[in-house]
Amino acid sequence: MSLRRLQAELSHRLAGALALLVLFFSIAWVLIRALGLFGGTGNLPQFIVVTLNGITLAGLYFIVASGFTLIFGLMRVVNMAHGSLYLLGGYLAFRLVQQQALNYWLALVLAAIAIGVVGLLMQQIFLRWNQGQDLRQALITIALSVVLADQMIPLFGAEAVTTTPPSGLGGSIGLGISGVRYPTFRLVVLGLALLIGFGLWFGIKNTRFGMIIRAGVDDRAMTSALGINVQLVFAVTFFIGALLAGLGGVLGGTMIALAPGQDASFLLSSLVVVIVGGMGSLAGAVIGALALGLVDQLSGVYLPTGYTNFSILLTFALLVFVLAVRPTGLFGRR
Amino acid sequence: MKLTGLAGWLWLKRIGLAGVGVIVVLVPQLFSTFTASAIGLQTLVLGIAAASLIFLNAVVGMVSLAQTALYGIAGYTVAKLAVEQGVDPWVAALIAVLITVVVALLFGALASRSEGIYFLMITLASAVIAYYFFSQVSAFGSHEGINGVAPPALLGKPFVDPTGMYYTALICSLLLYGLIVYVRRTPFGYALQGVRDEPVRMRTLGFNVPMLRMAAFGFGALIASIAGVLLVWYNSNVSPGAIDLTRTIDLLTIAVIGGLGRIEGAWIGALLFTIVQTYSPQYTDRFETLIGLTFLAVVLASPGGLAGIAIGLDRWVRRRLGEGLERHGPGQGRADAG
Amino acid sequence: MTIVRTQRRWGILAVAILGLTVAACGNPSTTTTSSTIKVGILTTCGGPFAAFEQESFSGAKYALVQNAGGHSQGTGPEDGVSGATVAGHPISISFGCSDATPDKALAEARRLIQNVGVDILLGPLSGDEGIAIANYAKQQPNKTFVNGTSGAQQTTLSVKAPNFFRFGGDGAQWLAGLGKYAYNTLKWRNVAILGEDYSYPWTQAAGFIGEFCPAGGKISKRIWIPLGTTDWASAVAQLPSNIDGFLLLTGGTDTVAVEKDYANSGGNLATHMLGGSSVMDPTSFTVGSPLNGLAGGSPVPLGSTDPAWTSYVNGLESVYPATPKGSLAGSLFTGLYYNGMNAIIQGLKQVNGDLSGNQSKFQQALAGLSLSTPNGTVTLDSNRNAIITNYVVQILTQSDGSLGFKTIQTVPNVNQTFNGYFGPTSAPSRDSPSC
Repeated sequence: MSLRRLQAELSHRLAGALALLVLFFSIAWVLIRALGLFGGTGNLPQFIVVTLNGITLAGLYFIVASGFTLIFGLMRVVNMAHGSLYLLGGYLAFRLVQQQALNYWLALVLAAIAIGVVGLLMQQIFLRWNQGQDLRQALITIALSVVLADQMIPLFGAEAVTTTPPSGLGGSIGLGISGVRYPTFRLVVLGLALLIGFGLWFGIKNTRFGMIIRAGVDDRAMTSALGINVQLVFAVTFFIGALLAGLGGVLGGTMIALAPGQDASFLLSSLVVVIVGGMGSLAGAVIGALALGLVDQLSGVYLPTGYTNFSILLTFALLVFVLAVRPTGLFGRR
Repeated sequence: MKLTGLAGWLWLKRIGLAGVGVIVVLVPQLFSTFTASAIGLQTLVLGIAAASLIFLNAVVGMVSLAQTALYGIAGYTVAKLAVEQGVDPWVAALIAVLITVVVALLFGALASRSEGIYFLMITLASAVIAYYFFSQVSAFGSHEGINGVAPPALLGKPFVDPTGMYYTALICSLLLYGLIVYVRRTPFGYALQGVRDEPVRMRTLGFNVPMLRMAAFGFGALIASIAGVLLVWYNSNVSPGAIDLTRTIDLLTIAVIGGLGRIEGAWIGALLFTIVQTYSPQYTDRFETLIGLTFLAVVLASPGGLAGIAIGLDRWVRRRLGEGLERHGPGQGRADAG
Repeated sequence: MTIVRTQRRWGILAVAILGLTVAACGNPSTTTTSSTIKVGILTTCGGPFAAFEQESFSGAKYALVQNAGGHSQGTGPEDGVSGATVAGHPISISFGCSDATPDKALAEARRLIQNVGVDILLGPLSGDEGIAIANYAKQQPNKTFVNGTSGAQQTTLSVKAPNFFRFGGDGAQWLAGLGKYAYNTLKWRNVAILGEDYSYPWTQAAGFIGEFCPAGGKISKRIWIPLGTTDWASAVAQLPSNIDGFLLLTGGTDTVAVEKDYANSGGNLATHMLGGSSVMDPTSFTVGSPLNGLAGGSPVPLGSTDPAWTSYVNGLESVYPATPKGSLAGSLFTGLYYNGMNAIIQGLKQVNGDLSGNQSKFQQALAGLSLSTPNGTVTLDSNRNAIITNYVVQILTQSDGSLGFKTIQTVPNVNQTFNGYFGPTSAPSRDSPSC
């Protein structure tokens, strides 16, 4: 028995060391290629832009995934319709801005709240009465996502659309380094992600509601035994989680584009972010989003020539890798 | 009077089942080429794939979305060997099954440390990895896939005459069904059910739980790989589109509609799914909605799926007809696995 | 307990509904008048190209309205066509709906051919589907397959099913003229290619390279990004700074993502980018004013003032008044499905609707057809692939401020091999043809 444990411990350590080694090697590789060390031709401005792309994309991933992880952390609901809420939010804001000529920020708020309400209804109608059956809830949300994805095609069309950013934020700004210009709106998204991250962290740490959430994550049964209205807390959490998906959709629809299929890709990226970071952990979502965003953007540029077509696989390799070392994710706990 | 009613019901059931059996055996004779192949054959093949998913859930309590990826590995192997290396189809099929099981064991070693919903998500991610792998690697034909795969000469041309393929798929279905039922009753099967119900206790008893999970995953892969081989023979080609996210969800849909707790459900779900998928596009573009709503209705109303409903119905009739107070029939099932 | 009860009742209800569904779907109607000719139209209504369903349908149906005496049953592309006849034979149409995967296209083709019993199949829409369908065509020699917009070279260069006809040309042909335009008019010498990583963009790149490189131009970088990539920002960042411009070979969301990102980073689309045929599509107009001046290759003379083209556009738009002007006529999918259906109608007229003898007379008629289309007269080569007229078109802001097209160059007699540059074994790939 103890031998087996020793063996397990050893293989665990070994995997950890291997993980660190690979991480160092990849960073070194990227830096060598980017800065042109050891006789290569570097391209510093490109490196800066690509890294910024990774970080800003991580911001968007974080906004979407934080809602996902919040819901899971408290309620153990894996909302497989999270991506559908993202896309729906994006489409709503697109309609409001392009067709109703509404102010961008107003449309953003309205669309996000509307998606929060959609999420709330989803939770109340489909998920409230089967609490604790996590698999069944996941299946229900998968079914909902199939229906939503198919219904959004006739409702919003199948062609790609993109929301016009608010005036002044549509262009680019100079970074002050060798004449590199960078799209302003991507930086806005990053700023908002930081704001939301900080807001969530502050809210969870310092408000009464946050205290209840923390207590609920630690011990649901005990929290409800203390006389706290758990159902209300669940409803509010689901509202916020869905709202964040919708908000992400509005920003994503402006920063990138909206089309059928984006729902699945953002569900997948949320899944990767939270599995890497650890389900239910906000800090994990930050790290997971950063890891995914950077790997996503850097791999296409810095993989050795001839292998760049594997870039999309690398984001998933990241996931397998983390799981091999830590099955519950970097910040996860059982 | 009551007893006669019950006996009558039992006879009715037997005659019904026998009738279904006769129809299933005579599909190529009774129906058109198209129905026999697009409905009959496809139901059997998808049923086998779904059976691998249901086996994992019903016996070990693991819901895996990686089954499409596994049948994709088998399908690609058989296609590549047969088309590019000119390997005999039967040999290619055997190698494909072996490779798939080995890959599954390796993957299982990694994933079997996770449980429940984690396992679901990890297998989902692996399904996507397989999709991107096959669509990016030129050696596997990228997005175009591999065309012109011919089944063994014995089975004929499935497009023209599906009879040979149909009986092959039927025999495979029956054999695999029998095998699953048999494995369930072996010490290995009981150990797996122990892992499903009481993983902690099993560990305390000295069982190597991850190893058991890994082995179960490998067995599931064996079933899925046979479906993959048959699917490629039936379609005469394989492309990443055959294992994309939509197909992954489709397979889950089949398993859920049929019943996640009962192996028979795989073929029942596959039949319903195939019929809806084949015939509804001529009435509506939004047939995905139809499938999604069916899925939703089944999950909400009867987590045991159609198989669960059928058994529930049977039990209800029998109770009405005055059978004794039998409570815990085999169909009580771990249908929801929640 | 009550919950359990309710659930069971729900369950029974579900079974009843499902049973009815099965019953309703189990008996597909296969009744035929002996002289009715059945045509199947296969396009995509799901997956990445779902947006092109309306366009392809509208083209095929408009051909029936215009040349076979059909009547649209409504004002949109989704409405059916009734009353179409050719040489006294009523035409009945059935629709197939793929999701751009070869699997699904094949399943739908089989349903249409073997279950519905169509005599002629028009479609499919995308390249990989086309290769699978052409392979399937070999197993159904007594049916006729007319390609929709599927543009892979191999379909007619190496698969070569004798009953598969392509009146729209392939993806490489659709870029004919653009390589010379880049070299001679724009004076580009050093170009990068940025595109999605699959066969259709590779084929289009081959068409560009086939002219640009022999003229003396250089392709300094080819950036292929996997389908399914959401954020294209770093793909754009990989474009070398010393190039004269780049060729974009994407569709749908990816086109929009690249154009936005390039414009937002301060790039000029009109002077530094050329577009593939799917880039020159009204679906990208959501990007707005940065598109003004962007040129690209197209098999249809978008925005042309040629009478054949304008009468086609006006006729199409009068049949589908409910659809915004330009959105259907501005698409190559509409145009090529229209041509495909017209070829079927002309071929049937020549043989008086006689499909006997395994359709051999009809197939001969198709092979020898000289089809006059809104985009010029089309004939087929010995592999039954079209020799087409291709166009260089430009996106321009119209007088009312909206975006529209203008045809700026016409390239006649474009054949599939680019006069021997391509052959059965020269399938385009990530880095071939070399340059």
